[in-house]
Amino acid sequence: AAAFERRVLRRAAEHHYLRVRLELPDGGARPNAAQFKQLVVTALRELHGEVGAALPVDVLIYEEKTLSAILRVISSGFVKLWSALTLLGFYQNRRCAFRVLQTSPFLLALSGNSRELVL
Amino acid sequence: MVRFKNRYVLCEVVSEDPRCRQCIEDRALGLAVRDAIARVHGDYGLACCSISFTVKYLNAYTGTVLLRCRKDSYRLLCSALPFVRSLESRAQRYPCFLNTLHVGGTVRTCQKFLIQYNRTQLLRLLQNCTNEEEKQCVQKSLLSCSLTEEQSQSGDEEEDD
Repeated sequence: AAAFERRVLRRAAEHHYLRVRLELPDGGARPNAAQFKQLVVTALRELHGEVGAALPVDVLIYEEKTLSAILRVISSGFVKLWSALTLLGFYQNRRCAFRVLQTSPFLLALSGNSRELVL
Repeated sequence: MVRFKNRYVLCEVVSEDPRCRQCIEDRALGLAVRDAIARVHGDYGLACCSISFTVKYLNAYTGTVLLRCRKDSYRLLCSALPFVRSLESRAQRYPCFLNTLHVGGTVRTCQKFLIQYNRTQLLRLLQNCTNEEEKQCVQKSLLSCSLTEEQSQSGDEEEDD
């Protein structure tokens, strides 16, 4: 019989993926994809300065109707991005909040969500 | 046993404008460095580096500055120093830049390095002297600091004339 071997790779993934939703309680104009990315970069710039704003962050999917998006960020900047999204309070002087729904080092894992499973 | 460790960053203020010398003050320099950290590293970086940040020593004649910060955030501080481009005091702004000479764990190691560095700088000044009386002055300072071990312990800090 072959010997059992387990390999664990920690911090081996290059990118981290986040599914986020922007909550804008007042019914005003919704940001389009470019304005959404500008908002994310602004949040990073406020909390982490020019170094944070230069993090390679990509908006892979953006739905304007539900204001939800899938972001990709390099793994070393994951903590900076999540903390910047948490502490962002205003979009064009309107109150807003980012809710992070799922995160994973694999994009495929974001396709299913066991919280919204209907049994 | 568990103590707060600091890092002391020794820098030199270099400016083309000769009037910049007189506006080198500890408060103006501290504000300029904190402003640069806020621009480069944001609110988080500013708060991290400000915990134990102070300008420990300042010599306006030679432009030597000694900054102190926590050991956990000295890399944030050192990476923001090239972004200090001007010093402002009394409503006057002078362009300048900071040269990092040495990072040490205590004031004493920074002082030892500064003495060594000043000796080599005096030698270099001697080579670049233009007229005779400057050369005499520099030679006199060099002789006074190159004595043997026991005598050189008193009056180690020398000034440029």
